[in-house]
Amino acid sequence: MSKPDPLLLSNLVEKALSLGASYAEARFHSLRTLQILMINGAILGAGESLAEGVAVRVLVDGGLGFAATTSLSHDDLEKAVQRAVASARSAAPYMKRPIGMGPGRLGRARYSVEPLKPFQDVSIDVKVSDILDIYKSLELEKNGFRVGNVTISYVDSVEEKIIVNSDGAYVESTVPRLMVFYNMAATAGDRKANRWNQIGGSGGYELLDKLDVRGSMEDDVKSLYINLVKAKEPPRGKLDVVLGPEVVGLAVHESAGHPSEADRILGREAAQAGMSFRTTYREEFIGSEHVTVIDDPTIPGSYGFYLYDDEGVAAGPRVIYERGRIAGMLHNRETAAVYGVESNAAARAKDYASEPIVRMANTYLAPGDYSFEELVEDVREGVYIKKYMEWNIDDVRWGQRYVGLEAYIIKSGELAEPVRNAALEVTTKEFYSSIDAVGKDLQFFAGTCGKGEPSQGVPVWFGGPHIRMRGVTLR
Amino acid sequence: MSRMELAEKTAKLVSGLVDEYMVRVDTVDWLMVKMAHGEITVVQSWRKNIVGVYAAKDGKIGVLSFEARSVEDVVRRLPEILAKLQPSPFYAPLPEPTGKPLSFTDKKVAEAAATGEVSDKLEELGVARLGDAAGKIDFVHRETVLLGSNGADLGYNSTSFNGYVRVFRNGRSGQWSWTSTRYEPELARRAMDKAVELAELCAKLPRERIEPGKYRVLLSPMIVGNLVDSIVDAANAGMLIFGMSFLQGKKPGDQVFSPSLTVHDKPLDTSLPGFAGFDDEGVATRDKPVVEKGVFKGFLHNSKTAKVLGGETTGNAGWIMPRAFNLEVAPGDMKPGEMLEMLDNGLYLTNNWYTRFQNYLEGLFSTVSRDAAFVVRNGEPVACVERVRIADYMPRIFSNIEAVGSEQWQIEWWEVRTPTRTPHILMRDVGISLPS
Repeated sequence: MSKPDPLLLSNLVEKALSLGASYAEARFHSLRTLQILMINGAILGAGESLAEGVAVRVLVDGGLGFAATTSLSHDDLEKAVQRAVASARSAAPYMKRPIGMGPGRLGRARYSVEPLKPFQDVSIDVKVSDILDIYKSLELEKNGFRVGNVTISYVDSVEEKIIVNSDGAYVESTVPRLMVFYNMAATAGDRKANRWNQIGGSGGYELLDKLDVRGSMEDDVKSLYINLVKAKEPPRGKLDVVLGPEVVGLAVHESAGHPSEADRILGREAAQAGMSFRTTYREEFIGSEHVTVIDDPTIPGSYGFYLYDDEGVAAGPRVIYERGRIAGMLHNRETAAVYGVESNAAARAKDYASEPIVRMANTYLAPGDYSFEELVEDVREGVYIKKYMEWNIDDVRWGQRYVGLEAYIIKSGELAEPVRNAALEVTTKEFYSSIDAVGKDLQFFAGTCGKGEPSQGVPVWFGGPHIRMRGVTLR
Repeated sequence: MSRMELAEKTAKLVSGLVDEYMVRVDTVDWLMVKMAHGEITVVQSWRKNIVGVYAAKDGKIGVLSFEARSVEDVVRRLPEILAKLQPSPFYAPLPEPTGKPLSFTDKKVAEAAATGEVSDKLEELGVARLGDAAGKIDFVHRETVLLGSNGADLGYNSTSFNGYVRVFRNGRSGQWSWTSTRYEPELARRAMDKAVELAELCAKLPRERIEPGKYRVLLSPMIVGNLVDSIVDAANAGMLIFGMSFLQGKKPGDQVFSPSLTVHDKPLDTSLPGFAGFDDEGVATRDKPVVEKGVFKGFLHNSKTAKVLGGETTGNAGWIMPRAFNLEVAPGDMKPGEMLEMLDNGLYLTNNWYTRFQNYLEGLFSTVSRDAAFVVRNGEPVACVERVRIADYMPRIFSNIEAVGSEQWQIEWWEVRTPTRTPHILMRDVGISLPS
């Protein structure tokens, strides 16, 4: 379906201002997805979804109101504006400090991600056939080890937006994405284990090969085999640990990115996704000089890609931790106003029905200059955790836990026997302070990051190279 | 266009293209008030039509979902999607639509949801008296129509008044939630009072660091609701088929948990917002035990999972995955004041989040406590602990139940998405972990 005339959105903004709003924005937002679901080599079904509508957000007397509707009729859109204004007005008496919109480099721009193979040019039977081929290539039985319940979910999507606000922003964008999610359940004797994984990026159908879904699944089958058949009990206590890029990426997302979201630091998400240790943390450093964490929405091909955020602010890289020092936060215009800084374009909304809130995009630990071999060779006794199978972190992003799916003993600088379920449980400061060397092999991984109420899952990448940690606790 | 017109139009468009179909249209008015630091951070409202289509042709399955201007735009792709698929191992003919309409709406909730006007209700609920508090309050009015090629022609209306608050006192916090189909200010105020009570008690007590190990633990209804959701997920036949259930290998009649644990799925309970008289295939719903006195009573099925695993639908359809409606954990006989006394020495954890399975098949998981968490000695809270982690096997800890409270709470929040009525539960020998 075609995008609406931008004038329609401008009129909504004008209408809101005429009803007393001091700020207004209107966003047309369309998200179309195709999903194909496979289980054990059979296509379970397929589906298409379309979430498309207009969101209106207004400030009235310092209160914030938001309304969304699927209808683009004149009457329904005017009602949405009226609801947003009425809502903002009911919030205003409760505000001790009125909400404001801080400065940001507002754009007047149009951009799109151009796929090499647009999804609509690839027939569904080709997509089905390619997914089945990936499944067939897997070696699912070996010496009493068996992988069953293999589920693959293929999702391609196209997200289109037009954002207009009363401060002069006008941004139109189109971003296609591909995502594959899979789960495998494996058994060996009386042992059982799962592996699920998500792979994604922005672009077209070419990503199925480029992101190497097949290679990833093959490698995960091997990881399950090692975990169930080969691995022994891990050592426990204080040890040196080498972490793989997958675990590093997840850790920086959880304990650098999330706690640096300014709305979380201010407590705006306190009852939902929680708060941040940074609200009360007064120290200058959080880690060693080897730690630099960046969030960058503009990485070409990334799953969290955008050039302008959902408030129309131009995006760029944002340094969160710099050489161990706590550096920046992620801001939308609301939090920028509180801190007296410029927004750095972190406002994202999942769909037309979602308010833009502070989000990550592509968060990663900056690479160093060590090879993997160099990281390992300087460890006398330790563990290498390559992949995780479970994680969680507390609601201020301080105490965290990662349990290894594939992990190995390190003895005298060399990888030795595999160990199962090594659990790294550390504080954020302990995690970043223990890093004494960083690899040069930066890799990215896809995820769907959850936050907000109603919950908003947005596409992100998280990444990093291999790192070496000294004297951390394995449980 | 009314929802019935929209449903009929969609059904007409689809019917010529497929062998079987179901069309579900939900018209939703929804108002959400979000708070932080005692301020209203945003008031959000939605009015939307959500249209879902299940379609089958030659044993192939397609599912459409749209919140959009035009039905035609989505439906036109259906023939292409179905033509290129293979017959689904999940396919089963649509069952007879035995369901009956079951409606309950509360005018006050519906009005607030439609107008966005809630100033009077915020005053009545006493939000301002909470001081430093965060949270959200929902007013939802949903009208549902279900049409199907199996003859289903059903509809129902419902309302939901739910929310949660997290109250802060001197750097400590307490959180609690409520849910109901009716506008019940006293229910909300009771939950708010509980959050205040926990925050204030924790603020008075010293902090204490505990060591990892096995503890006797009293779990609040907020935590029980979250963990019981996971148990019912494991009893979902879809999760079993997808290899994500620790009940794999179990059969109805197996004693899996403590005899003190009874969990019902209660779709016919109109006091909780998840109620429905029919499922998404039009089949009559029924209240049923999922676990009764610790005995696993059977998987939740739609017609498709029933065909794959053998059995019959339990009236829990989703079109692909079955689902529970409302959950109830049966009360025990331990009065509120007696639970801490019986705990004697251990931990009282009042809220949690981020429950993740290390191993779905074995039920090995961990979850992190948040808000007030107490060290209890001789039946008295004597200190508060910072965030700790329960790291254990789900079936094991629910086999170690020592007591179940007599007082139930109606819970629904970020970490408990299925409306759940549950008491406190006391367990022994629960694995507790934390960073060194």
